[in-house]
Amino acid sequence: MSNFSFLNPFGVLDEPGTYMGDFYSHNFSKKAKEGTVILNLGPQHPSTHGVLRVLVELYGEYVMRSEPVLGYLHRSHEKMAEHKTAYGFLPNMGRVDYLNAIGWNWAYAASCEQLAGIQVPERAEYLRVISAELNRISSHLVWWGAFVLDLGAFTPILYAFDDREDLCDILQRVTGSRLTMNYFRFGGVGADGDERFFRLIREFIPRMRERLKMYRALVTDNVILRRRLEGIGSMDADMCLRYGATGPILRAAGVRRDVRKAIPYGIYDRFDYEIPVADRCDNFGRYWVRVEEIEQSLRIVEQAVAQIPEGKHIVDKAPKPAWKIPAGESVFSVEGARGEISVHVISDGGKSPYRVKLRAPGFSNLALFAEAAEGTLLADAIATLGSLDLVIPEIDR
Amino acid sequence: MELSNISISGLIILVIACLLVIALMVVNAIVMVYAERKGAGFIQRRPGPYEVGPWGTLQPVVDSMKLLGKQIFVPSNVDFFLFFAAPVLAFFPVLLLFLPIPFGPFLTALKVPDGIVLILAFAGFGLLANLLAGYASNNKYGVLGAGRAVSQGVAYEIPMILALLAVVFQTGSMNLSEIVEAQGRWPWSWNILCQPLAFFIYLVTLVAETNRAPFDLPEGESELTAGFHTEYSGMGFALFFLAEYANMLLVSFVCATFFLGGYKGPVLDGFWWTFIKAYLVMMFIVWIRWTFPRVRFDQLLNINWKWLLPLSILNLWITAVVVNFIGK
Amino acid sequence: MSTPEAWRDAFKEAGALAVTRPDPAKSGLALSAHMPAGSLVAAAEKLKAGGFSLLFITTADFTEGFLVTYVFDSFTEHLRMALRVLVKDKSCPEVPSLAHVYQGAEWHERESYDFYGVIFTGNPNLVPILLPGDDPIPPPHRKGPDVIASIRKLGFLGEAEWASDGWELAPAPPETKPAAGAKPAAEKPAAGAKPEAKPETEKPAAGAKPEAKPEAEKTAAGAKPAEAGKEEGK
Repeated sequence: MSNFSFLNPFGVLDEPGTYMGDFYSHNFSKKAKEGTVILNLGPQHPSTHGVLRVLVELYGEYVMRSEPVLGYLHRSHEKMAEHKTAYGFLPNMGRVDYLNAIGWNWAYAASCEQLAGIQVPERAEYLRVISAELNRISSHLVWWGAFVLDLGAFTPILYAFDDREDLCDILQRVTGSRLTMNYFRFGGVGADGDERFFRLIREFIPRMRERLKMYRALVTDNVILRRRLEGIGSMDADMCLRYGATGPILRAAGVRRDVRKAIPYGIYDRFDYEIPVADRCDNFGRYWVRVEEIEQSLRIVEQAVAQIPEGKHIVDKAPKPAWKIPAGESVFSVEGARGEISVHVISDGGKSPYRVKLRAPGFSNLALFAEAAEGTLLADAIATLGSLDLVIPEIDR
Repeated sequence: MELSNISISGLIILVIACLLVIALMVVNAIVMVYAERKGAGFIQRRPGPYEVGPWGTLQPVVDSMKLLGKQIFVPSNVDFFLFFAAPVLAFFPVLLLFLPIPFGPFLTALKVPDGIVLILAFAGFGLLANLLAGYASNNKYGVLGAGRAVSQGVAYEIPMILALLAVVFQTGSMNLSEIVEAQGRWPWSWNILCQPLAFFIYLVTLVAETNRAPFDLPEGESELTAGFHTEYSGMGFALFFLAEYANMLLVSFVCATFFLGGYKGPVLDGFWWTFIKAYLVMMFIVWIRWTFPRVRFDQLLNINWKWLLPLSILNLWITAVVVNFIGK
Repeated sequence: MSTPEAWRDAFKEAGALAVTRPDPAKSGLALSAHMPAGSLVAAAEKLKAGGFSLLFITTADFTEGFLVTYVFDSFTEHLRMALRVLVKDKSCPEVPSLAHVYQGAEWHERESYDFYGVIFTGNPNLVPILLPGDDPIPPPHRKGPDVIASIRKLGFLGEAEWASDGWELAPAPPETKPAAGAKPAAEKPAAGAKPEAKPETEKPAAGAKPEAKPEAEKTAAGAKPAEAGKEEGK
């Protein structure tokens, strides 16, 4: 910004944890090169997808170094878990990543169920899959609209939100909320879907497929978009391994890894769907993988709605709100829209969980931004940031 | 024009013309803001402004009143004079550029034999204003935006000049009225048919010179918050806005004059044709703003130096050869 | 090498203190190796060479110290393993950093540093990541003395498939504390029969739990143990 305080030595000590002046980072204690400009993107910025601050050191338009600075949206969910009851922590899961609330719901509920050995009835499993996949579609639509908005196309986001309105209406019928959904309960789901719910889904699927065709023709095949995305922001499989990046980033790097197929949870092994894997490690690969995932999610929902049996939506004698998680430790992973969501619960058998670790896929995904954006143009760095599909609330928790 | 040639009547005409042009620019801004927002809404499947006034027509008026009333923030450590001069410099020189344009058969404010040179020469003032705004803001985003604006503006002026020059070669005169006169009443006798490449090149450079999407990197919203006008609020921002729309109108008028037959039309010659054609071009500009993503900066410069420039030179050369041998 | 047994041997070679095999169906982990701080980096390098990725690092506060857990999984097959390091000295908790092996560890370590104050020596940028750096607060996730639990008494790490002598986290032998309320009657009858239950993370259904559950340590005394016993039977 307008002060040149980075030129002053700010008493850098080599001890960890020292406040590093304005930059919160050892990496920026001195400039990499003469003639560069250190710029803050954010925390209020139209395209950082939340309250994220990225420090960049620019040489002209080239990004010499960058570093994301987090913590602007830290709400201490993990600490809250230690003070709320296990049941009372379920709504928090909808807030951690509000765009993929069902994924987080699932990870936490299933982690506790796994520990306690609770079996979920079949109808509830189908409802879980349907809501999770619809949520994934909705999350990808938001990502898609926001991503091309970053690139300067102002219109597709409104079409995406149009589709998302339909999805929010559908999910609202069962979950009660449009965004921060608290749908899962220990032993099943919160409410059963009625006839109108299934009818709305059946009507939505062909409509969404038509729209996907239009999006492909108008946006994905647009030459300006292609030229902006192809060949930019390389994140190969080795980089993903070193950073623990999962999800579409990994699949665009050519690694066929999807938690739904690798560690089948719920009843995902009953459905016939593919995992889109692109062999290109660039922004366009990640773009393509996510758009294809929408189609695959539609397939899963179609099959689930056709196959869903009658039954209860929650197990009999489901845990009541005062339920205590049996002592032990449990890690459960689901495939969220952004990658692998893991919830690690350590319980001592008391009222509240002893320790809940929320592993957000975005946290690991964002870590590789600094390496991926090095040496690229600023506009490309912004495009790369968008292609990571970041939702800062889950990164900061 | 020597000093002795200036007549009192000419001066009065100039003054009246200036006032009318100011009125035109303001009315244009109001109309264009509304048209752009309604057009954007139409493309984006939403209504656009519809609450203020019948069908939202009072929205731009209310918006300008709001902008007038806003507090003007001056960041610390700005260069005071430049900071305030930049929006004024963006807006007022555009006034000059409207003077040579032949609105109607007898409605030209300034009949000079080299009207296009006047326009092209003073069009660079807008660039200067953007540069000053970015530089004087004491803001790194502003500097980046200003740098981009200058690169882009300077780069795209050249194919613009060459494309217009092709029409000048063909007509044999730089006087805008004569260029219009050389075209006919019907669309097939307009210059667009004999100079399609020049028209296309001019359309692209028109969008780039006015910093409109897909070439709006200097104010690239999603990258630079607002580029060179980040630190401007209220009236300063309004002046930049007005200047942008005035520039758009100007280049649309030039396009209409050079390629679309100016004030000549199938039915009745008159200034209404100029306006209709210019506004059609404006609606086209609005249309592509909401349709395409932004071009990256190096790609933008590549388009210019690697494609538009050679094409415009080629076009010019072909025109020169044809004119030489066939004559026109 | 992709079997838990092969990795167990690899960790033993690398200097593990103990290797436990939790029940994957209950805990999601196939293997859990407890390393001394000095052998951590070597084990991690082996994992990286084997194509495993570090998914996350989590820390928890117990009476014995901070238990730093590193969870790994491979992208090509499913074998989720955990490395654990116990940091006993809470006033100056130090663990070698994995940031040079797995670059993603840098941020996870910073998070543990934020929440618990664990210092990862060798981390290139150990500054607060989620908590405000300019207004530091004491590490917020440390447990107060009234709620802190003991790993040994909790026994959640389970029996070790292999343990070196003096593995300090071996589950505590069952105590008979008469003054802790209605424990034995409400607990599962197989209280003493730990080993034949799978050496898993403790499940109340298996009942392989030493007596001194944190119920006794928790302030929620009285009727709680009985309720807990009933509910755990679900």
